[in-house]
Amino acid sequence: MTDIASAATVGATIDSRPIVRRRRKRITGRSLAVLAFLTICALFFCVPLYVVLTTSLKTMDEIRQGNIFALPQDWTLEAWRFAWFEACSGINCNGLRVGFWNSVLILVPSLLLSIALSVVTGYALALWEVRWAGTFLFLLFLCAFVPFQIIMYPLIAMTRSIGVYGTIWGVAVVHAVLAMPVLTLIFRNYYKDIPQEIMSAAVMDSGSFWRIFGEIILPMSGNILIVVLILQLTSIWNDYLIGVTFGGFNTQPMTVNLANMVTVSTGTASYNVDMAAALLTAIPPLLIYFFVGKFFVAGITAGAIKG
Amino acid sequence: MVAFIGSILWTIILSLTRSRRVPDYEIDWTEWSRQYERLFSDDGWTIALWNLVTLGIGSGLAIVFGFVLAAMIDREKRGESLFRTVFLYPLAVSLIVTGVAWRWILNPDMGLEATLQRMGFEGVSFNWLAQGDTAMYAIILASVWQSSGFYMALMIAGLKSINGEIWSAARLDGVSLWRLYVEIIIPMMKFTFLTCAILLSLGVIKAFDIVLAMTNGGPGQSTWVPAYFVINALSQKQNLGYASAAAVMMLVITAAVFLPLVLLTAWQARRRNAA
Repeated sequence: MTDIASAATVGATIDSRPIVRRRRKRITGRSLAVLAFLTICALFFCVPLYVVLTTSLKTMDEIRQGNIFALPQDWTLEAWRFAWFEACSGINCNGLRVGFWNSVLILVPSLLLSIALSVVTGYALALWEVRWAGTFLFLLFLCAFVPFQIIMYPLIAMTRSIGVYGTIWGVAVVHAVLAMPVLTLIFRNYYKDIPQEIMSAAVMDSGSFWRIFGEIILPMSGNILIVVLILQLTSIWNDYLIGVTFGGFNTQPMTVNLANMVTVSTGTASYNVDMAAALLTAIPPLLIYFFVGKFFVAGITAGAIKG
Repeated sequence: MVAFIGSILWTIILSLTRSRRVPDYEIDWTEWSRQYERLFSDDGWTIALWNLVTLGIGSGLAIVFGFVLAAMIDREKRGESLFRTVFLYPLAVSLIVTGVAWRWILNPDMGLEATLQRMGFEGVSFNWLAQGDTAMYAIILASVWQSSGFYMALMIAGLKSINGEIWSAARLDGVSLWRLYVEIIIPMMKFTFLTCAILLSLGVIKAFDIVLAMTNGGPGQSTWVPAYFVINALSQKQNLGYASAAAVMMLVITAAVFLPLVLLTAWQARRRNAA
């Protein structure tokens, strides 16, 4: 019976070979079309970047001529310099660098807080027998879907009551709280696959909760840590709403400065400066993407699979 | 440790219940629903709801587009990593930056419209952002640009998980490529499509940054979305009860969209496990 079946499959593969070959040849025309289509789509995706880049290198006079696709006639970095040092956000005219450093300052504690909080929670949920773990996971899962606007006011009230509202720490705490559901689920799914034997052995070796975590679990989680780090890095950097709501007057991140620059324009809008500012804001995540894109993709897919 | 988790849990529950109870700060129990009545008679809210629907349908194009791209990239192995890199990069860019960039491209005096008209296409009109009835399309265009790559990445992962024998089996049977995709591949990828749909609807409900950066809600109120409405009610009108009512409605919308989708997903997953 099995012999016949395998003979049949062998026959089928032999039979199919010429068909496959014929198909291959015919496909080249089609595959050219596919490649052409993909290239056109790729152009559609690249055009905004190109336009923004060239605009930022032009002078305002040249922009007024209204040829958005042309290369700059005389290349100038003036708009970049202006955006970085002098552009106004509200009444504050020190350029985007203020926002840039605020973003960096926000980034560091936010990253540390959110990752520390969720890595420990994920570890506890996956490897220790915590009471109500299932219920807790389910709640986390639901929380990952709650729109931010609904918990916004309670969060404002809470951060105000512990005195961090309007400071960098306030923004960091909110980032940590909001990122926790998703990150905890990611970590938990990762640790869940660690064999129970390792844990039993570790517990027998008189490992305490924190010792097992520090000596066994953390060294094992390098990969997932990098993925989550990059996921968080880009999402915190690109965040606008939390920054504008919880950041104080002088601690607003770069995205908020950029939005202020563009939407609340005083006097004539200078598009080259706007574009330079947009690029300055976009450069850090883009650099991350182009250099460690693999981890970035892994991060967004992991963040998505939670759903 | 239980205490640690317990406290987080308590915080989360507290944050949820308190926020839901915010309208209850209005002590007047006889008129508990007045914020909601006001909300539903508010033109801005109606516009916001309609825009939400428009945005949802429009952004649905991102899934379709993402699938087409994914299918093509998956068929045509050449240049896969290059195309993936190009299609995904907008995702790394902030929505604010996306909005600013597209706002500039659609600028009527110096942007795409002016350029095309100079090139001789006198009839083209890309002045979408300045007119209330087309401004939403501009936002849809920008958000599709930003998010298609993401759905493409998910779809590629889905396509990769499909058993390779199906391709050769279909080839043997002489099934046309079109029918193969419509009748076999897409039904097999239901799960991926559902995931995408859930993520998309969440993204649409949360859409705020891009609206702010592109139109700031204008012209007039024509591009208000619920998320924008809530923030506006809170920061401009300083009306907490009103904003909360709108926020609760957002939660209701989320639940209404999200629960059926999740149930469907769970059902699909169970069926897949059973099979």
